[in-house]
Amino acid sequence: MEKTRRKKVTEEASILTKRDKGEKIVYAVAFVIFALYAISIIYALLYLMINSFQSAYTYTQNSVMGNANPFALPEVWHFENYAKAATISIRDSQNNEVYLYTMFFNSIWYCGIAVSGQVLMSSFTGYVMAKYKFKAREFIYALVIFSMTIPVVGTSGSMLKLVSDLGIYNTPFYVVAVSLGGLGFNFMIMYGFFKSVSWSYAEAVFLDGGGHFTAFFKVMLPQTKTLVVTLGIVAFITTWNDYMTPLLYIPDFPTVASGLYRIKESATRSGDMPYYFAGLMFSVIPVLAIYIAFSDTIMKNFSFGGLKG
Amino acid sequence: MNDKQENDSIEKPPLKKKIANFFGDVKRKIFKNKPKKEGSLNRNKRNQTIFIVAMLAIPAVHWLIFWLYINIQTIALAFQDVRTSAFTFDNFKQVWTQLTSPVNNSIGIALKNTLKYFGATVLINIPLSLVISFFIYKRIAGYKFFRIMFYLPAIISGLSLVTAYTEFINPNGPLGAIVKFFGGTPNSRSALGRPETATTAILIYFIWTGFTTNVLLFTGGMSRIPVEILEAAKLDGCGPARELTTILFPLIWPTFSTQLIFTMTGLFNSTGPILLFTNGQYETSTLAFWIFSQVYGNGVVGGSGTYNLVSCAGLCFTIAGVPLILLARKLVNKVDAVEY
Repeated sequence: MEKTRRKKVTEEASILTKRDKGEKIVYAVAFVIFALYAISIIYALLYLMINSFQSAYTYTQNSVMGNANPFALPEVWHFENYAKAATISIRDSQNNEVYLYTMFFNSIWYCGIAVSGQVLMSSFTGYVMAKYKFKAREFIYALVIFSMTIPVVGTSGSMLKLVSDLGIYNTPFYVVAVSLGGLGFNFMIMYGFFKSVSWSYAEAVFLDGGGHFTAFFKVMLPQTKTLVVTLGIVAFITTWNDYMTPLLYIPDFPTVASGLYRIKESATRSGDMPYYFAGLMFSVIPVLAIYIAFSDTIMKNFSFGGLKG
Repeated sequence: MNDKQENDSIEKPPLKKKIANFFGDVKRKIFKNKPKKEGSLNRNKRNQTIFIVAMLAIPAVHWLIFWLYINIQTIALAFQDVRTSAFTFDNFKQVWTQLTSPVNNSIGIALKNTLKYFGATVLINIPLSLVISFFIYKRIAGYKFFRIMFYLPAIISGLSLVTAYTEFINPNGPLGAIVKFFGGTPNSRSALGRPETATTAILIYFIWTGFTTNVLLFTGGMSRIPVEILEAAKLDGCGPARELTTILFPLIWPTFSTQLIFTMTGLFNSTGPILLFTNGQYETSTLAFWIFSQVYGNGVVGGSGTYNLVSCAGLCFTIAGVPLILLARKLVNKVDAVEY
């Protein structure tokens, strides 16, 4: 069995990589362009990292005055910049200082609530819509497609008014409330997945006397583990890097992304850019680590088909 | 006698039992079983309904509040006076003025730039993503590494990449040094600090970081295609360009068209990270940024409160977008997906 599978994989690889002379040139050119692209991305990160070890004075001399080679490595590596970055602070509306480590804490609960809410709710809706036939099913599906393809613009004014009226503006409850949606993009992916899962698993549970909740939570949901991880990671990365939502709706709970944006403003004025770069490195490392660890899972599972339905 | 009686008494009960069993069976068959079955069916149905309602309740309420109510309120706000909340068309007049006036045309500038970002996505990023995906699918040397690299801009925070890019194109930064190395003189002001170049500079950044999800989805779509199809094409002497356009492209049409529809849906929301680059200065504003800046104000907690004008502009562009998206959907649905 394993041998046949391996043979098939090798056969596939040979078909995909079989090239004649002319094609090889095309692939070589593409390779060079791809490599340049990869270098540009890696260099962007390296630039920030190298300058995060620079002294504030040297950085200003290089960048503002243009007195030195911008490709040069720091003469003295200031590792203490990272310790200083942790103590950078901004002030909230009550004039309290918010430090970078508090922003990390805010990012963690903000992402935790948003990710678990979004993924769990879309697995609920995806499962029910894919596996149960009920009167409103077609209507709900049509409504989801309709609301996803209506090009809505400019609702943030209305949203801000609503969350203020509900009394959840600038509170963690805002994050809870907006994260409980299960009828968006993630729903489409979950729906597609559950469509392909056999109903006989649930029937086996019913025969054993189990109910619908048991079938879903104990048998069907565990099958989505890989997909849940994929959607969870993608949602986590998007939420971690989102600076506009926290700026607009929870300004007194700055996350790493929204807080660093405000730190950037003050660092540009004071010339403390290396500390700000160190802060950026702090923000990039966790998501980069998660991405590298799960890149294969993300690449394999993130896909969808058509919108017809 | 006694024995007979005894035997009778022994024999009778089985007969009685038989009769009773017979009638019991009939009775059960006629009356009891049916209602009993219906009862269990009803109970099953009820349990199923409870399950469906419980699972859909929260997302449904969420949709009603955060989609339906928000959109209805946006329409209402568009027709309300900022101070008195009375019915008015003033917001529409103001949107029109800011769209067309030669002096105070902030919406006009924003619309022009928005269309540039949309154009960059549709004409540059999506086609290039298709080509990139093709090479990754055809396992170009280092394809696994490149697949990760093309998705990396979605992982690294926008703030980090914007900072690195800003530093890079700074006249005293690496780009300036490269220009000097080749004997040129870099402009003393950064491309981001001049109205004539600022949007182009952000557009280049936008294209540079814009392959992420497109490449991920297209390679995902291509990886499901049976390679035997490609082998047959190869035997017919099909080159890379024809392979992509006449074989792979029609086969990943469902993924491609869906992505195209989503891009169309985001037409008026197309934007680069304007807040991080220029905060809207140097004529770089887009509609999405203009809306954000109107609501955000100067970062005052509670927002700036100019919800009416924003809602009105939003309503106008939503209405303008609806026929476009309907047309796009119609065109996309006309193309039949190839089965494989």
